[in-house]
Amino acid sequence: MGNCTNPVWPCAMAGAVSCLSGIEDLAVVIHGSSGCYYYPATLMPGELFGTFLQEREVIFGGAARLSEVLQGIPSHYLKIAVVTTCVTAVTGEDPAGVGADRDLLVVDSPGFCGGMEEGYRLAMEALAPAVAPETPGVNLDGIHPADPFSRGNLREAERLLALSGTTPATIFTDTTLDRLGRAAPVSLSVNPDLAGGAGRRIGSLLGLPAVAAAFRALGEECEGCDPGPVLEEVERAEERITHAADKYLRRHDPPTVAIFGMSAPSVYAAEMLATYLDCGIAAIGSRNDPGPSRFRVGKTTSLEEIRAVLDREQPDLVLGSSYERMVHPQGAFVGITLPLRGRIQLRARPLAGVEGALDLMEQVLNACMDRERRSRS
Amino acid sequence: MTLKPLPSGSRLEGCTLTGALSVSTQFRDAVTVIHGPPGCAQHNLSLFHATCLENDTVVLPRLASTDLDESGVIFGGEGALAEAIRDAAALDPPVVFVLSTCVVETIGDDTGAVCSRGWDVPVVHIPTAGFLGGVFRDGFHRALQAIAGCAGEPGDGPGGVVLVGEKNLEYEVDAHGGEVRRLLSLLGARVDLRLVRGMDWATLPRLGVSRLNVLREPDLAPLGVWLGGRFRTPYLPSYPVGLAGTLLFLARAGRILGMDAAGAVRREEEVQQEMLSCYADLSGSRVWCDRGDGAGEGAALVQELAAVLDLRVDRHGTAVPLPDPLPVGTTGIRQLLHRWRRAIHG
Repeated sequence: MGNCTNPVWPCAMAGAVSCLSGIEDLAVVIHGSSGCYYYPATLMPGELFGTFLQEREVIFGGAARLSEVLQGIPSHYLKIAVVTTCVTAVTGEDPAGVGADRDLLVVDSPGFCGGMEEGYRLAMEALAPAVAPETPGVNLDGIHPADPFSRGNLREAERLLALSGTTPATIFTDTTLDRLGRAAPVSLSVNPDLAGGAGRRIGSLLGLPAVAAAFRALGEECEGCDPGPVLEEVERAEERITHAADKYLRRHDPPTVAIFGMSAPSVYAAEMLATYLDCGIAAIGSRNDPGPSRFRVGKTTSLEEIRAVLDREQPDLVLGSSYERMVHPQGAFVGITLPLRGRIQLRARPLAGVEGALDLMEQVLNACMDRERRSRS
Repeated sequence: MTLKPLPSGSRLEGCTLTGALSVSTQFRDAVTVIHGPPGCAQHNLSLFHATCLENDTVVLPRLASTDLDESGVIFGGEGALAEAIRDAAALDPPVVFVLSTCVVETIGDDTGAVCSRGWDVPVVHIPTAGFLGGVFRDGFHRALQAIAGCAGEPGDGPGGVVLVGEKNLEYEVDAHGGEVRRLLSLLGARVDLRLVRGMDWATLPRLGVSRLNVLREPDLAPLGVWLGGRFRTPYLPSYPVGLAGTLLFLARAGRILGMDAAGAVRREEEVQQEMLSCYADLSGSRVWCDRGDGAGEGAALVQELAAVLDLRVDRHGTAVPLPDPLPVGTTGIRQLLHRWRRAIHG
């Protein structure tokens, strides 16, 4: 416990809800106050239920209210996940004993137990997905509805699998309960910072070298998988990025960069920028506990910490969320993490895969060129 | 499109904490401490972030969280609260607001006692306690009342008009405030203070010299009465709604301010006639609006517009929108009628 000014990273409850809400036939009930409901409801595109507890239910117990909400949940949901919040965790509510005629899954992930990734992990643990060795294809993990790149990442991963002659198996989490129980033996991830589902994770799709390595591994593991077309595409993408970056560098110095987001996507972006644009990586502020990297990565979860880093480094380019854009409007900006408020995003934009790498570099170069033009005018 | 199912009644009315924060964070120079888990601060910061961007505001309020974790829940968080207040005071703000959440209320922390320890800066405790303290509206009212109670002795100089209780999370908040300001300017009156929107703490004593308080909505009447008792300031119970309502607002404001409103009313009536002439093409259209049925201010507005524009209101007519809160003043009606025309001709 410590004091924190303007925290920017969602709590464990929101992470659990994000993981669970990707399962089509699973109803998700937030067992707590309306205040806890509204935030996830703004992030998740699908249907969410809430108990919207009031004072008397905290004092006398919320079981009757939960039961009332469970009874109103349409029967096409095969199972119901009840996610606890801070107050229901403190008062010791036991949702498992309520609603005996419905199949319940209790996910104990109150906000005070950690950040979004912790809630996601707890939800995945509660779901307990399983491998069915005979299931063909490859699972995809790291997809979650709150992520502004989830649709784009999923489409890009599916496209690459199709290119290699493989099919997606279970998608964690954009799937059904049935498919959770019969995942394929191997998985690829679009965000290794999020807990995987079932199946051995053999690679990540964050970055061109990672895509190439993942599909080479897949070629060895999966019968019928031909990594050739994907490797060719990776090579062509590298050429295109190199050409565009080279042209930029003929007239401009490489930008100094500060990157904020979850650790793995941030390090991926840093690798891309250092490799293709020779950027100096001034700082990486990770929203979650940082993983291994050749860059120095600090955990940065409050607006004041973000502001301190940006004031100190004064980077030319910032990758992050709309918080970073707001704090450092003088820099070029590319969004790579939630929230991305104040801009309209309708298309499915990927961050992972070949198209994700191309999109990232395209956004970076355009943002840098726009900034140069602004500074000249 | 999937709609998220929401229950009816007070369960739907949001969090007390958010209501109070929507007021306290409008002091540009204050720090607000939220005593609870970081998620409560993050949820609200995210909301204010989105609202700020929609209103082209680039400065976020300073929200400190006591960052209550599992051990804080078990052993109590009063120490963390004291530390957070100390840290906030070190930033040298003119005031620190302290708001509690439902979890600290549940574990029994005495937030009020920690706040009254005699700090170097004024520490204003607004009891919120999330849903344990009521709903959004309760937090909103409680914060306004707590702040009004801090106004102290009236400030110097002649006062103007004070807008009380603007809905800071409303998408059109500045448009609505701007319309009231425009109407008052027809009388030659000026808005001196917005309680509370984009304020500095040092300007709070201006509340005491106000000549007229304009409440955002009738729900705020108890505060209007309290301010009347404390500073002898009369109030108008709400922003103007409807064509006739706007003219009546001008007449009443003029009477309270001791200004002759006849000229202002006449000019505004001309503006309204000119505006309505732009929508003559809607004449004879059939419209329907759920909230326009029966009694109430919404229904009165629909009926008034139907009468002046020669519209037929029936259940088989084109569905037209009626926002909540209702449009303010003549400008609000003009914007509403653009949307009606789009619906009718769409």
